[in-house]
Amino acid sequence: MPRLFRTFLTLCLVALAAALVFAACGDDDDDNGGNGGGGDIDISGVPELDDGVLNVGSDIAYAPFEFYEEGTTTPDGLDIDLAEAIAVALDVDIEFQNTGFDGIIPALEVDDFDVLISAMTITDERSEVIDFVPYITVGTGIVVPTGNPDGIAGLDDLCGKTVAVQVGTIQFDMLEAQNDSCDDDVNIVVFDTNPLAVEDLRTGGSDANFSDYPVAAEDAAISGGDLEVVDTQIAPEPYGLGVRKTSTELNAVLDEALQAIIDDGTYQQILDDWDLPDIALN
Amino acid sequence: MIAPMSELLAIRYDFDVVWDFLFDPIVLEALWETMKISTLAMVGGVVLGIVLAVMRVSRNPVASTASGLYVWFWRGTPVILQLLMFFFGLKQVIDEDIFRDNWTRFRAAVVIFAFNEAAYMAEIGRAGILSVDPGQMDAAKSLGMTNLQAMRRIILPQAIRVMIPPTGNEFIALLKNTSVLFAIGIVELTNAARIQAARNFKIMELYSVAAFWYLMIVTVFSIGQAELERRFAAGERDQPQTLFSRMTRVVGASRRGEGKF
Repeated sequence: MPRLFRTFLTLCLVALAAALVFAACGDDDDDNGGNGGGGDIDISGVPELDDGVLNVGSDIAYAPFEFYEEGTTTPDGLDIDLAEAIAVALDVDIEFQNTGFDGIIPALEVDDFDVLISAMTITDERSEVIDFVPYITVGTGIVVPTGNPDGIAGLDDLCGKTVAVQVGTIQFDMLEAQNDSCDDDVNIVVFDTNPLAVEDLRTGGSDANFSDYPVAAEDAAISGGDLEVVDTQIAPEPYGLGVRKTSTELNAVLDEALQAIIDDGTYQQILDDWDLPDIALN
Repeated sequence: MIAPMSELLAIRYDFDVVWDFLFDPIVLEALWETMKISTLAMVGGVVLGIVLAVMRVSRNPVASTASGLYVWFWRGTPVILQLLMFFFGLKQVIDEDIFRDNWTRFRAAVVIFAFNEAAYMAEIGRAGILSVDPGQMDAAKSLGMTNLQAMRRIILPQAIRVMIPPTGNEFIALLKNTSVLFAIGIVELTNAARIQAARNFKIMELYSVAAFWYLMIVTVFSIGQAELERRFAAGERDQPQTLFSRMTRVVGASRRGEGKF
């Protein structure tokens, strides 16, 4: 019955087209209400907040700073909590957009979102492209297999070893710089997310994983005894909320909001809740 | 550098960056890595694929079914999943140092891509074999050859001609699919560009460099493939015209059976 078949085929195509249209209309991650609190900060001059929503980009695969609660699509983490507190202080809603770390600055530049919070260290190269609002100070940590078979105590011990890192991170840059003072180069293995880098360490493909200290500690803690973190924070540096260079008003209000939550104790409370009281901005 | 046409449109493309990275050792090294893995995997895939094809058309039910299952699995799952499963997953399951130390990234990449490719080559091989006139097999049998002998001496040589274009296609696809190797930490061409772009934020410029090299390889390969097709069409009246044969004709070398001349 060719005619029946043809009708069926047409219906399938229409359904497919409809599905594609609706998928395109679909929205990204969470929508957390900003009720009560703040409202003292004047956001009327901030174009990005005209719609009452703070659009935040983040590489949501970096516990404890940002990660998805197990089995859900709900973002959680220290960065997430700070961002939500800031949104409350500004009396706006908040929406998170998951973006790969190495593409997050370009995504910010093309207006995918208005601010990024992704455990991003403030560096000169990054500051040439975007502006930062510093919010915490964090160093780098090394994860090794339990028992530390290679006896790694610091950056110098990584010479001649295979180290897994995430693309676009300062850790990658630090390892390349380290090679200048190494006899035996560090074998740098690069992945697009940090969890994959940790996986490589766990399955014996690498000797160490190099990431932000709290992340390193977290990865060791949840590894079920396979991994441990080397007990030194290397080169602590400020992290920043990233905004476009043209977002001067947004920059100013974020600064105000951050100061507000520091002043009223919310900031320190969040840090304490995540067991990281010492990384406060100094 | 902002191009002059930014009077109308803000175009920001830094040609200097493109020139800087075009022959940069990091890029060339990644290119070489890509070529090594693609070539080794392709060779392995073709050999294994032809074996699987012969098994598939065999009257032996064990051979035929085994081959069918192989193709079903290796064609039916994405190659990135295969990489994650058989590199990370296998190393998690097999907690032995001997295995983990020897199942390196590079070896896993070549083997897994070869296995994946073999599934596609098996189907191409099967098509090639089926394209040979069944009378050939009859004639071979009547001369006293076994199935395998007939395959090796009569059928496969004729099947190969039909297999060349799709095989060339497969190689090109394989070459480009190697970009997923970042999932297991291998820096090949696309990801070398990505790593550098993450540092200098010159996205378009870096990826242009990668695109250029992919196109170069594919172009050279296509010319080679065309020549190969010509050779296998020996004895035919209308030999396919290739770039190379046209060039030699202009230079004056004469060849039999060539177009109008």
